[in-house]
Amino acid sequence: MNTYDRLVRILANEHKLAAEKLQPDARLDELGIDSLSVMELLFMIEEEFHIRVPNDQVPLITIDDIVNYVNNLIAQQADAVPHQASS
Amino acid sequence: MRRVAVTGIGVISPLGNSTGALLESLAAARSGICRLEGADYGRLANPIAAPAAWEPTTVAEASKLRMMDRATQFALGASRQALTQAGLPLANLDSARIGVFIGTGMGGAQSTDDGYRTLYAEQSDRIKPFSVLLAMNNAAASWIGLEYGFTGPNLTFTTACSSSAVAIGEAAMRIGSGAVDVMLAGGTEAPLCLGPMKAWEAIRTIATEDPRDPAASCKPFSKDRTGMVLGEGAAVLLMEEWESALARDAVILAEITGYGLATDVSHLTHPSLEGQARAMQLALTSARIDAALVDYINAHGTGTLANDAVETAAIKQVFGDRADKIPVSSTKSMHGHLLGAAGALEFAISILAMNAGMVPPTANLLRPDPACDLDYVPNQARADSTIRTVMSNSFAFGGTSVALIGHRSS
Repeated sequence: MNTYDRLVRILANEHKLAAEKLQPDARLDELGIDSLSVMELLFMIEEEFHIRVPNDQVPLITIDDIVNYVNNLIAQQADAVPHQASS
Repeated sequence: MRRVAVTGIGVISPLGNSTGALLESLAAARSGICRLEGADYGRLANPIAAPAAWEPTTVAEASKLRMMDRATQFALGASRQALTQAGLPLANLDSARIGVFIGTGMGGAQSTDDGYRTLYAEQSDRIKPFSVLLAMNNAAASWIGLEYGFTGPNLTFTTACSSSAVAIGEAAMRIGSGAVDVMLAGGTEAPLCLGPMKAWEAIRTIATEDPRDPAASCKPFSKDRTGMVLGEGAAVLLMEEWESALARDAVILAEITGYGLATDVSHLTHPSLEGQARAMQLALTSARIDAALVDYINAHGTGTLANDAVETAAIKQVFGDRADKIPVSSTKSMHGHLLGAAGALEFAISILAMNAGMVPPTANLLRPDPACDLDYVPNQARADSTIRTVMSNSFAFGGTSVALIGHRSS
């Protein structure tokens, strides 16, 4: 399952949203997912993807924004692991 | 000053989650105190408390509940009941003239405890994202305002065990002054988790578990009293300006006529006769009534050695020769000490019992104490439909001492 599918599964479950509404370009605010819900979502993403989401505030407007953000973090942190291990 | 009517009461309590259930338990002198089961509670010297039977989904859906501590949930439950009973036509009212005052001693104690457990016990750095919103002391009042769209004053009072009595008194004054027309006021507390319970245990005020019957562990005014028992819940009063209540033919449960607020500066925790008596006297003065007119007193009556004897002496000082003619009860013997919510629950009980023609008892009063020699309505409720004026006392660590007076004319 790719990042988008896993994210849709979380959103559908937590916010009781129909999966077909959760298209990549769907805006979070239009789905009723406010800034607090995004904060909570990031907490769940950490658990789901085994990554650490930094405390920086990143503008996340659409579902695609989150998918890209998560994929970047996965890539960065996958690089970071061997680096840390060798240090 | 404008007059203040109570037209709705809501309760979530160890004696039931409706005013009817609460009254029924009081009339039967039934205790909500029990032995707590669970690994955490096994670490307490006396694992007893008065929990509320609570179903969170009755107040909010899961996505909102994640942002609400148990104390906030209780407050929302009680508020809804009070609003329903009052039957105010909210759509026709100016929301800016409606306020919310809530008292709480420990705020979102459960959420704070959970956060500490994550951080210190589990050694995890991943604290729940809503920890601040869950634990902040003004969360309960804020959520009530949010849920109903009340844009008038929204304040949280925290004066330990008198918090909600202060909230009610201050709310009555706001209506009286004309600043607002309607107030939801009361208190909430949910302290039955390990951290707060251990803290209360450490200060040596918690009762020893009764070996024969845990439900009988709290024995206010009895010679064998050993302390208080913690309870949880919320009580909220819907208060409105008297004339408007009359104009809409609302059923008026009581008029709030007196509010006495005094500070006991003798000691941080040890009560003084002067501080307690002054609160009662100030309430009588503000109600413009003579002490002779008080028909019932719901005592602070924690069941500690210190409080019950001092409170007895304070009542005698204020009421003189009449002191032993006034029924005085500590309902904490049954619902435990709800800390910041205690004042609201006990004032609510006083009003409800007055309307039901009943005097609630002090349970577990089996051994008279020479230092406590008033009529404490021992062990059995009394029928009495002549009660017109009730006083409820709330005294706190830190010294904020409060007496509230409620009256019903017929």
